[in-house]
Amino acid sequence: MASMKYLIQLALIFGLCLVGDVISLVLPFTLPSSVISMLLILVLLFSGLLKEHSIAESADFMLKNMTFFFIPPVVGILRYSSLVQSIWWQLLVVNLISLFACFAASSWTVVLVQFVQKKIGEKQHA
Amino acid sequence: MLEIVNSPLFGISLSVFAFQAGLFINKKLKNPLANPLVIAMLLIIAVLLLFDIPLDAYEEGSSVIYMFITPVTAVLALSIYRQRDVLRQAFFPVVLGTLAGALAALSSVVVTCNLLGLDRTILASLLSKSVTTPIAIALTEQFGGLPALTIASTLISGVAGNLLAPVLAKLFGIKDAVAHGVGIGACSHALGTSKALEIGGVQGAMSSISLSFSALWTVLLAPLFF
Repeated sequence: MASMKYLIQLALIFGLCLVGDVISLVLPFTLPSSVISMLLILVLLFSGLLKEHSIAESADFMLKNMTFFFIPPVVGILRYSSLVQSIWWQLLVVNLISLFACFAASSWTVVLVQFVQKKIGEKQHA
Repeated sequence: MLEIVNSPLFGISLSVFAFQAGLFINKKLKNPLANPLVIAMLLIIAVLLLFDIPLDAYEEGSSVIYMFITPVTAVLALSIYRQRDVLRQAFFPVVLGTLAGALAALSSVVVTCNLLGLDRTILASLLSKSVTTPIAIALTEQFGGLPALTIASTLISGVAGNLLAPVLAKLFGIKDAVAHGVGIGACSHALGTSKALEIGGVQGAMSSISLSFSALWTVLLAPLFF
């Protein structure tokens, strides 16, 4: 029966994603079912209703090979290659500027918040 | 010949072998530019063009792999759960850092798209490009954009983040490991996170948490920018 373990774990993860799908359909606002499923699993893990060992091996298989699952949409770009080619430099400019802005804003905010937290901590100790 | 390539097994095995080749070449060259995903893409496209195989035939099989995108994203919950101690310590910096990152990414896309005179369909396709692909595609579809442009953009962001992760920290004077990890995850999702894991344990952990929080913030905030 041990060999069934991975299939059962996989089926459990798929089942939870189907629940996420249903929740996504019922919600009055749009939230992708993948995000809902991630939150659902997170809540179940923290509440102890779902044990890490119930999904660990199959989840690790997916996490360790995560990049592999992105091959289909990437190759799918071929269908729209003329569209991508027609604005390739604009795509590059928008993406790189936004990458720098996003990195700077997020990492500097972390440094700032940690600095403020440290100051508040020092005040309480003083 | 056509019977063979029309079987779903063709697309699946081609993808697996192409990715294996990508991993092998990446290991041999030790060059971040030799990205396994990019190599696999080029190999598959080369095979399809060389043997004149229609993309539809390949997608018979690749759609089976693509089916895993939702479960793969969902089990990121486990990687966050495992880092709960780190998360507890750095909760507020991570939450606020990813919020700032999402706001910066969204507003910079709107500004640069307007400056370059790109139309609203393209803006709709690029708005969510900093976050993980399945979520970015879902948002693009919601806004009526073109998923192909979103995929191209998330790929550019991911690969650029993967390449530039060490340089970005130097450029912006970031010495703190938590801040570095959050920055990588916020701007270049899973592809950047794989680089963060190579830089260090804390960077990798923070980047994983950051990509999840960034996705959430972007889902909540993107409608305000469109």
